[in-house]
Amino acid sequence: MLNKKTEKKPQATNQFNQAVAGNSLTRDAWRRLKKNKMAVISIFIVVIYILLAIAAPILPIYPYDEIVLDHQNLPPSFTQNAGTLLLEKRLADLYTQAWRSGSLEVSEAEEEMLWTWIDANETNKVWDYMLEKGEQMSADGSFTFSATDQRRIERLEEKLMSELKVSIKSLWYTDPISNEREKLSSLTTEQLIDLYLDLSGTDIDTLKDQYTREIEQQLLRGIKDQNPELPDAEYQQMLEREIERLSESRFDSLIKSNILTKITNQIVNDANSHLGQMATDESVLFPVKEEISLNDTISAEVEASRINERIYYLGTDYQGRDMLSRIIYGGQVSIAIGFVGTITSVLIGIILGALAGYLGGKVDYIIMRIVDIMYGLPYMLLVIIAMAIFGRNILNLFFALAIISWLTVSRMVRGQIMSLKNQEFIEAARSMGASTWRIIFKHLVPNSLSVIIVFSTLRIPAFIMTESFLSFLGLGVSAPFASWGSLVGDGVGSMALYPWKLFFPALAMTIFLFAMNFLGDGLRDAFDPQSKNQL
Amino acid sequence: MTKYVIKRLLGIIPTLLIIITVSFFIVRLAPGGPFDGERNLPETIKRNIEAKYHFDEPLLMQYGRYMFDILRGDLGPSYRYKDHDVNFYIFESLPNSMILGVIAISISVLFGISSGILAAVKQNTWADYLGMAFAIVGISVPLFVIGPVLQYVFAVKLQWVPTSGWYTVDGNWITIILPAITLSAANFGTIARLTRSSMLETLRSDYIRTAKAKGMKSSTILFKHALKGTLLPIVSYLGPAFAGVVTGSVVVESVFRIPGLGKFFVQSSFNRDYTLIVGVVIVYSVILIFMNFIVDILYSLLDPRITYK
Amino acid sequence: MKKNTNKGSAPLLDVRNLQTYFKTDEGIVKAVDGISFTLGEGETLGIVGESGSGKSVTNLSIMRLIQSPPGKIVGGQILFEGKDILTLSEKELRHVRGNEISMIFQDPMTSLNPFLRISTQMIETILLHQKMTKKEALKKSIDMLKLVGIPAAEERVHNYPHQFSGGMRQRVMIGMALSCEAKVLIADEPTTALDVTIQAQILELINELAKKLNTAVILITHDLGVVAGMCDTVCVMYAGKIVEKAKTEDLYASPSHPYTFGLIQSVPRLDKAQDGKLYSIEGQPPNVIDLPECCPFHPRCNKKMDICTYKYPPVKKVGENHEVACWLYADEKEKSST
Ligand SMILES: Nc1ncnc2c1ncn2[C@@H]1O[C@H](COP(=O)(O)OP(=O)(O)OP(=O)(O)O)[C@@H](O)[C@H]1O
Ligand SMILES: [Mg+2]
Repeated sequence: MLNKKTEKKPQATNQFNQAVAGNSLTRDAWRRLKKNKMAVISIFIVVIYILLAIAAPILPIYPYDEIVLDHQNLPPSFTQNAGTLLLEKRLADLYTQAWRSGSLEVSEAEEEMLWTWIDANETNKVWDYMLEKGEQMSADGSFTFSATDQRRIERLEEKLMSELKVSIKSLWYTDPISNEREKLSSLTTEQLIDLYLDLSGTDIDTLKDQYTREIEQQLLRGIKDQNPELPDAEYQQMLEREIERLSESRFDSLIKSNILTKITNQIVNDANSHLGQMATDESVLFPVKEEISLNDTISAEVEASRINERIYYLGTDYQGRDMLSRIIYGGQVSIAIGFVGTITSVLIGIILGALAGYLGGKVDYIIMRIVDIMYGLPYMLLVIIAMAIFGRNILNLFFALAIISWLTVSRMVRGQIMSLKNQEFIEAARSMGASTWRIIFKHLVPNSLSVIIVFSTLRIPAFIMTESFLSFLGLGVSAPFASWGSLVGDGVGSMALYPWKLFFPALAMTIFLFAMNFLGDGLRDAFDPQSKNQL
Repeated sequence: MTKYVIKRLLGIIPTLLIIITVSFFIVRLAPGGPFDGERNLPETIKRNIEAKYHFDEPLLMQYGRYMFDILRGDLGPSYRYKDHDVNFYIFESLPNSMILGVIAISISVLFGISSGILAAVKQNTWADYLGMAFAIVGISVPLFVIGPVLQYVFAVKLQWVPTSGWYTVDGNWITIILPAITLSAANFGTIARLTRSSMLETLRSDYIRTAKAKGMKSSTILFKHALKGTLLPIVSYLGPAFAGVVTGSVVVESVFRIPGLGKFFVQSSFNRDYTLIVGVVIVYSVILIFMNFIVDILYSLLDPRITYK
Repeated sequence: MKKNTNKGSAPLLDVRNLQTYFKTDEGIVKAVDGISFTLGEGETLGIVGESGSGKSVTNLSIMRLIQSPPGKIVGGQILFEGKDILTLSEKELRHVRGNEISMIFQDPMTSLNPFLRISTQMIETILLHQKMTKKEALKKSIDMLKLVGIPAAEERVHNYPHQFSGGMRQRVMIGMALSCEAKVLIADEPTTALDVTIQAQILELINELAKKLNTAVILITHDLGVVAGMCDTVCVMYAGKIVEKAKTEDLYASPSHPYTFGLIQSVPRLDKAQDGKLYSIEGQPPNVIDLPECCPFHPRCNKKMDICTYKYPPVKKVGENHEVACWLYADEKEKSST
C-alpha cells in the first residue's frame, strides 16, 4: 500500500457539501506520525546522526585512529587545549608534592579534608584542589617553586610549545637524469630498497634482516589482535603458518610499505628538528606547509601543526585518541551495521518468507521448520562462537548477525502473503499469466511493505545493540576501528578515574537508540490500522 | 493433556539433534581443532582428547560416541585446562548464573506486570508516564551501559555497594542487587509495555463491558476478568525473555565479575577452548528449550481455548 | 403484550436530549445527537434504524458504558426513577447496572469472557444482586440455561464459551441478563446470531419473562416485523437523531416521516405482492462526522424541500404520542424564521 500512487483529483464533496479526503493509508499514517511529537524529534535526531556519520571524513576532527601517547586520558574541555591540560596536570602534581614535602603549607581543616580524600581513594579531588590552592598562593606570592621545579616547568612548557605533529601530504621521487618527478609509492620494491640503501648508508644484508624482523613482528601483532589471550607458543606457530601461506607479491608489498615507513620516519624526523626550532622561537605561525628534501632524489611535502594546541572536546582515550572523533566514527560503524544489517536480514527474510507463503506445501514446511528450530537456539551464543572461530572483523560480524535475524521477518512476510494470496487481484494477475516470481515481487511484497518497513525500523536498534554487545565483549569490531559498543567496553575498566571514556559513547549510543525506538513506535502506531479506531 | 506434553517433548528432539551435530563439527573442524596436526596442545590434554574422542575411528562412529556421551551428560575434556573436564567447570559456575538469572527474571516479571497494570489502569497519569519512562529506558539502553553506569553511581560515587564481589564468594547478598537490576532492565521494559497495552486492549473488550454492565466492582473486573487475558501475551514473551537473560548474563557477569557460566563462556571463546564453548552452549540450549517447554504448557493451561492436540 | 402505560406517574426511564459524541482522527462523530424518549414500567420500547444510526450508543450511554476516550456523553439527562444516571457515583452506578437495568449485548461472540466457565460467569452475576448460596446460584444458572433452551444444561454450564455455538452464546447472554431480574432490560439486537425459529422463541421468551416480572424492555432491532409484534412504542432513529416516535399501531397506520415510510415499505410482505420487486431506500446513510445543520435524510428523501438542506426540522406532534421531525409538518412561521 505504501507506494500506491494517489491521483490528484479536484476536491470531492458529498451530498452535504463536505470535503471528502482521499483515504490513502500512507497519507493517513504520515499525518498521524506528524502528530506524534516524540517521533518527529526522533526523526531529526536520527537524521543528524546519519549526516554526521556520512560526513565524518570531511568533518574538522582529528583522525580517529591517531595515537598520541602524550595525550593519554585527557579530560574533556571546551576551552583548554591539550598543552594547558598537560601543564596543569604537572602543576597539580608538583603542588601536591610540595604539600606532601611540607614546603607548601595549608590550614588544619584543609589538611584534614585532603587526607579524607586520599583515604577514600579520590586522588582526583586532591589534585584539583591543590592546583587551585597552589595557583592562588603563587599568585599572591606566598609560595614559590624550588629552582629545580621551576626548571622542570619551564622545560615542559618549552616541550609543549615545540612539539609538532608532522604529517606528510605527498612523497616524491625525482629522477636525477631526466629530472622527472613521480610518486615515491609508484616505484618498485627493488628501486625503493636501492634508494633507501643510498639514503641510510647501510648494506643490503643488514637491511634485509631488519625488515624481515619488523614484518614478522607486524604480522604477529595482527594475529594477537585477532586472537587475544593465547599462549606464546601458539602465537609462534600461527605466525610460522601465516608466513608460509604468504604469497610472493604480498610479501613484496609488505617490504615496500616497510621501506616507505622508514623513509617517512626519516622525513618526519628531519621536519621535526627543522621546524621545532621555529616553533620555540615562534618565528612562524602554525600550522605550516613545507617542502623537505632528504637528498637530491627524495622530497616530500609536509604539514606541521602544534600538537599540543589541540582541544579535545570530549577528552581522549587510553592511547591519546580523540574521543569525539572516535565516537563519530564508532557511530558510523554502528549505524552502518545497523542499517545494512537490517536491510540484508530483511531481504533474506522477505525472499524466504515470500517463497514459503506463496509456494506453500513442502517448501513452506521446510523453511518454517528451520525457522522454528533456529528460534529455539540461543542465537547470540552461536554468534559469539562464530566470531570466536572465524575471527573478529566487521564482515564476519555482519554476516553472523544477518544470518540469524531474518527469522521474524520471514514469518511475518509468510503470514502476510498467506492472507493476501487468495485475494482477487492476485487471482487476476495469475489468470493473466503472470509468473510466480512476478506475482510475488510485483504484487505480494509491495502489499506487505508497510508492515515490513515498520518492523525493520524497530529492528535497527536491536541490530545495533547486538553489534555493540559483541564489540563490548571484545568479540566484534576490533582496533583501530571502533563502534559504540567497543568504546563503552574500553571505558568500563577505568570509569572511576576517567568517567568520560564511559559516559560520552554511552550517551551518544543511548540517544540514538532512544530516537530509533521512539521512531519505530511512532511508525507502528501510525501504520497499525487497529489503532485507527481506538484512538 | 499428556498427549500434548509428549508431543511437545518429541518436538524438542530435532532441535537437540541439530545442536549436538553442529557442536560435533565445530569441535572437529574449527581452526586449531584436534585434526589440525600443527596444533601443539600440552601432551596431557592431547592424550585426554584423543582417548575421549577416538580419532582413529571412522567419523560416523565418533559421531555416535559423541552423541551418546552428551546424552549421558558427559561434555568431554577441556582444550585448555588439564585438571578437570568440562562438566566440572560448568557445574562450578552454573549455580551462580542460575541465582542471578532467576532473581533477574523474577524482578522483571513481578515489576513489569505490576507497573504495566498500574499504567493501564491509571492511563495518562503520572504513574503511567513514570512507569513507561522506566520501561523505555530499560528497552533502549543496552545493559552494558546500564550495568557500568549503575556501578559508577552506586559503587564508585555513592559507595552504597562494593564495586565487586559476589554472594556465593563473600556471602554478601547486597552484591546481587546491581547485577540483577541490570539484567532485568530490558525484560522489565518489554513486559511492562506489553502488559500495559495488553491490559488496555482487554479493558476495551466486549466481555469486560459485559462484566461492567453486570455491576461488578472494578477491582473484581480487573483481577477476575481482565488479568488472565492480559497475561497471555506476557506468558508467550517469557521464552524470548529467558533467552535474553541468558545472553545478557554474559555481559553482566563480565561487568560485575561474577564467576558464572556467562563469564566463563566469554573467556573460553577468547582462548578457543572449543569443548568448553560447546559444552556451555549445550547447557544453555537445554535450559532454554526446557523453559520454552514449560512456557508452552503454562500457556495452554491459561488459555482454555487451546486444545491439546 | 401490549398494555397501557400508567400515565400520570413519572416514567421509569426518562432520557432527555442525550448527546454522545466520539472524538476521532477525522473529526467529532455525533453518534447520538439530542434524543429524548421515555419508558414506563412494564412497557416495551422498540428502537429501529439503519446500521450506524446510533442505537447501540444510545443504550450504552444509558448504562454509562461508553468507552472514554474516545466517547463522551456531552449533554442531556438520563433519569432513572427520577435520579440522573449521569451524575451517579461509581458505587450508585454499580447498583443500577445489572440490578435495575440489565443488558443483552449485540455481539454474543465476544461478550462472554473466554477465560471463565459459563457457570462462573452466571453465578457471579446472580450472587451480585441476589442473596443466596453458591449452590443455589448454580442451580438457578442451570434453570436459566434450560429456560433459554440450552440442551443438557447441567453439564454445559461448566463449559467455556468457546465450546458453545454463536446462537448458544447469545442464549447464555440472554439467560444471564434475565437472571438479574432487573427493572429494565435492554436487548440490543438479541436475535441477530440466531436462526429464525429460535429467534421467535427467544423473543417470545423475553416477552413472557418481561410480562411475568413486569420488566420494561428496550428492544433494538432492524426488524420491523418484530417491532410490530412486541413493542408498545417505537422510536425510529436516523443519523443519531430520533426522526419519528409513536405508538406501534400509529406508526404502522400512518408513518409520517419519509424515512419511516420507506422503512415500512421495504419490509418484504407476502400479502402485498409489489410487482415482484422489493422496495428499498436509495443511497447510504450519512457519515455522522461534522454533519452540517440540515436534515440528514435529505439526500435520500423524495419529498425534499429547499429548507431541508440547511436547517434541521423541529419536532412536531402529529397525533397523540406521535412525534415527527420533518419539515413537511412544520408551520410556515417556523420555516421562515431563518
Ligand atoms: N468507539 C467508537 N469510536 C468512534 N465512533 C464510534 C464508536 N462507537 C460507535 N461509533 C460511531 O457511532 C455511530 C453509531 O454507532 P452504533 O453502534 O450506535 O450504531 P447502531 O445503530 O447500533 O448500528 P448497528 O445496527 O450496526 O448495531 C456510528 O457511526 C459509529 O461509527
Ligand atoms: Mg448496534
